[in-house]
Parts: sequence; C-alpha cells; structure tokens
Amino acid sequence: MKRVGVIGLGKMGILHAGIVNQLPNSRIQAVCEKEKLVEEIAKKLLPKGIQFYDDHVEMATKEDLDAVFITTPIESHTAIIVDLAKVKPDLSLFVEKPLAASGSLAKTACDAVGNLHAEHMVGFQKRYSPLFMEAKRMIDLKSIGELMFFRAYLYSSDVLREGKSWRFKNGTGGVLLDLAPHLLDLLLWFFGDVQSVSGARRRMYSKSVDDYTHACFEFESGLTGHMDASWSVRGYRLPEIAIEIYGKDGTMTLTDDELKIAYATAEGKMRSFNNQSFNTSVPFLLANPEYTVEDQTFLDSIDKKSHPTPDFSEAAKVNFLIDRIQAATQQ
Amino acid sequence: MTTLQHFLIGDNSFLGISHLSQARGRSVGLSLGTEDKVKIIEKAASCGATGFTFSTDPTNFEVLRGLASSDQIKDDFAVYPVLPYAARYVRVVNEKGITGLMNDVLSSLSAVEKARLIVHSGISTLTFNPIGAMMAYIDSELSQIPKEAKIRSVLLHEVITDLGVSFRATEIFQSFTQHIRNKWHATPGFVTRNFPKFVDLCHEINQPLSDILIMTPFNSIGFQMNPSRESCEAYLTRVGDGKIIAMSILAAGYIPLYDAVAYIRNLSGISGVVVGVSSLDHSEVTFRTLRESL
Repeated sequence: MKRVGVIGLGKMGILHAGIVNQLPNSRIQAVCEKEKLVEEIAKKLLPKGIQFYDDHVEMATKEDLDAVFITTPIESHTAIIVDLAKVKPDLSLFVEKPLAASGSLAKTACDAVGNLHAEHMVGFQKRYSPLFMEAKRMIDLKSIGELMFFRAYLYSSDVLREGKSWRFKNGTGGVLLDLAPHLLDLLLWFFGDVQSVSGARRRMYSKSVDDYTHACFEFESGLTGHMDASWSVRGYRLPEIAIEIYGKDGTMTLTDDELKIAYATAEGKMRSFNNQSFNTSVPFLLANPEYTVEDQTFLDSIDKKSHPTPDFSEAAKVNFLIDRIQAATQQ
Repeated sequence: MTTLQHFLIGDNSFLGISHLSQARGRSVGLSLGTEDKVKIIEKAASCGATGFTFSTDPTNFEVLRGLASSDQIKDDFAVYPVLPYAARYVRVVNEKGITGLMNDVLSSLSAVEKARLIVHSGISTLTFNPIGAMMAYIDSELSQIPKEAKIRSVLLHEVITDLGVSFRATEIFQSFTQHIRNKWHATPGFVTRNFPKFVDLCHEINQPLSDILIMTPFNSIGFQMNPSRESCEAYLTRVGDGKIIAMSILAAGYIPLYDAVAYIRNLSGISGVVVGVSSLDHSEVTFRTLRESL
C-alpha cells in the first residue's frame, strides 16, 4: 500500500487526491494546506485518518510517506522540491505542470533530485490520452512521411476579465505558464528540441500577465511551425488543443477528441480515431481517464523503478522553451 | 427486460457539450437559441419523452421558463436538475481560487441563509458548516426553477458524487438525500461514472437503492464505464429494485441509435435512459425509436 501526501488542496490537489485514494494499493495519508478555511472544510469532509499540516517539511518528516503530490501555485514548486529532496531523499515526487516558474528554477529542481533514486514526474497528462499516444506513435513511424510544417492552438474561455488568483501575477501566471505548457510539452514530445523561436504576445483582460501568445518555432530536425495560445477566446467550455501536421505523404489533424490522418495517396485513404475508439475504462474516474492513468503510472513506478515520463529533466524543457518565447517576444 | 419508466432528454447539446467532438458541440451549442431548445423539448415530449434533465446553468432556467408557458408540455412532464454545474465553478476557481469560489457561493445566498450558516460576519473557519452551505446553495439554485415545473428528482453532479465515493464522505450523501426528500419532496439522485463503487458505498451505509435514482453510463463499448463494462453490468444484478437511468447510451453519438437500443434492451435493471438531441428531426427520431423499442 503506497502512502501518499498531497501538498496544496486546490482544484488539482483535490482531483489527484480523489483519484489516488481509490487506486488499488494507494491511499491519501496526509494533506498539507496553508489556507485555514480550506483546511478546516477538508477536515470536516475527509476521512478522520488523514493527517493535516500547514508545513510540507513537517508533513514529510512526521509521516512515513512513499510519495507526495505537489499541487501548489507554480512559484512555490521549486522551494518545496528542494526542501523535500533534502529532508526525505527517498520520497517520490509528482509535480503538477509546469515544473517551475522559470527555466532557472526548473534547473534548480532538477539539480535537487539529480542524484536521488526515487521517482520524479511532472503532470503533463495529455501524454496519457490514447489519442495523443496514437498520434505520437504515428509520427514516430513516419506515417505521413517526412514532416514539412505544423500549426497548433490551445484555446480556453477561462479569462474573460481580470482575475485575482496567482494565475494573474507576473512571474507565476499568464497563459504561457498556466495553459500553454500542455501544448508546448506535446510539441517537444512529438518533434524534439527547438532550434529557434520568435513570436508575439499581448494582454486583453489581464493587467500583469499575457492573455495571448503566438510563437513560431524551428526545430532541430528542420521542421517549422507555429502555435497560438489564449485563455480569452469565447465559446470554449473546456481548454481545447488542435495540432495540424503536414507531411509529404499526408496530413494529421489532432484534437482532444479526434485524430484524423488523410494519406496523400491516389485512393485518398483516411484513418480516423475518437476517444471511443479505445478502451478508456480506469479503476476510478474523476475528470478524464488520462489523469487516472498518469497517477497510476507514477505510483506503479515506485516499486518498478520504471522512471515515468516526463521526468523533471524532460519537463524542464518546457520551462526553458517558455523562457525563450518570453525573451523572443519582449514587449 | 422490463419496460422503462424514464425517457429523458438531456441538455449536453444545449450547452455546447459533445464528448465525441468538442468543435461540433461548440458549433451546435452556439446555433441553438432558447426558443429552439424549447421546441426540441416539445417535440421530444410529443414523441414520448417523460422529462428533461439539465445542469443548473442560467440558459437552462430560460428554457424552463419557455417550457412553463408552453401548451405542448403536459403536467406529467418532469424535470431532473443536476447540480452543481461544475464547469461554471472550475472557471471561478481558476479566477479566484477555492476560497474565492466559496465566497461567491455564499454571496449568492439570501441574508437569512447566510445568517444560518455563519455566526460571525464573513467566513469563520470554526463556525463554517460546509454541508449546510451546500444545502443552502442547492436551495438557492432550485428556487430559480419556475413553480410550474414538476421536479421529480434532484441529482448530485458526478464530480461531487465521485469525490464523495473516493473519500467516503457519507455525510454529504445522507444530508443530500434527506434534504431533497424533505424540503423538495423529490427523489434524491446521484450521477456517477464509478457505478460499482457507488453501489458498494450505498450498501455499506445502508442507503436503500430503491429510495434514490442513479444516473450512470451504460453502452455497448464501455465508454465512461469504470472500472469496466463487465463490472458495471455485473453490478446491475445487485441493485434489486434500484432505479438506474442509463446515460451515454450512444457513447456521445459514436454508437448508432438502433445498436444502442439493442444493448439496453438486453440489460435487466435499467429504469430509464437519457439522451441529448440537437434538432427537431433528431428529437423525433430518437424518442419515437426509444419509446417503440424499450
């Protein structure tokens, strides 16, 4: 039985805690939450056996935990990782995306766990969606031939007026740090490292952070493409990703719920997949199945030493890329 | 196979939701106005739909007002609200955090309800009663339903149900069940995507399944059936006279209607189905087929 702690009982903390507590062979043993009201409500609603703390070092020291989920605001990730690596080096760590608030802080986090033997994973759950996994497989198989260029977007309607949480503070928020990491991680996963970046960004509703980012990439493979990310587009009930990839032998169109491959053959062959094309049943479902698969992969890796992906060093590439986009689009 | 009692029209297409294609869902949702939605429900009712189940989104309250003044809707046509409307609150959490969400919910309550919940001014960590706040919030949402509407059941959204299952927060279920029955004289209902675990918990806390509705996915490909289609089907034999409403029977449009009907016909223990439709023709074909076949 894996004993798990959660640091930060916000939206993502509640989600992961709810899943982990129902997975076979794991249970939530402790919660660290600094907001008193949230802690008191959780104490009234959660099982009595769960221990509560307002200090993550105290929780890690007093509780005999196998793993901790870090689901706090982005700017706090690195300090928590460094603290835990120091006081409990054998503790496996799951960090909700992105790894850190900047490339240098991501590097600090990687250095802190670099020589440790526990498992360290970042929550880019799209990698555990069957459609994105199938797309990755097709790209690796060169299913549409040599890639020529791509275009991609990630839109949501989350911000249609100035917000007040940490997501709206300079250095810890903005669409590039909060929403775009999902798409950036997929692009890095699909296409490899980036050679050069250019782009533009702007504010529509927020005063201190960007609501829109446009970035053009040239990858080391020679592939070029661009992405748009905005959390201020009306009509998107949920965040929505779309990636169109053009190859010499066909075109691949990928969204959260569809993968279409049109082959440039005389027969005009087309292959199409939905989430319904795959068995997506999971031991316990909250939100989307990929969260359960992701959490299960992380917890299983502790015994198997299987190093789940993305680990910290792979996830840090997203932070490095965000830094480069920010530098290339200085206003 | 037993004859079904509940033939419900759902609101997914009205809210722009499609679990097959978000782009298609968004396009349909944007194209339907309140009057269109009312006509689609009227058509469904004339073809055998017995009720409308919906999230407590403000646009659905407008639809309910349209239905209240419709002469096509008979008195026995019932409504089955599902709450809270999670998507709305996820957005508030993104914008203001969990504490900001609670402040928003509390500010929507009447002064009397607030006074009942909070002894001192503002939210006090010691005196705040989360279950009481939840019931007051439910009352506040349900009070927006026109008096003409017949509320047969009030269902707890799957996010709360399934979190409650995970943490065995049985006090939430018991309070909700009592509150809906006593105050609203309706059948308490629960939406869940973890049907076997929910049934296990009900048995554990001696919650008679005959007293509640359970709305949960059943379809031939196992879409959203957890931990597996086989397990969910096996648990149907354990619900006795429980009332199970099958949702996602078309797997969001992936399964043809006649195949979906054939699958449901062969299950014993299903009391009703819910299906979303997006046009008058779609409404007519769907509900005529369901009524003729189930």
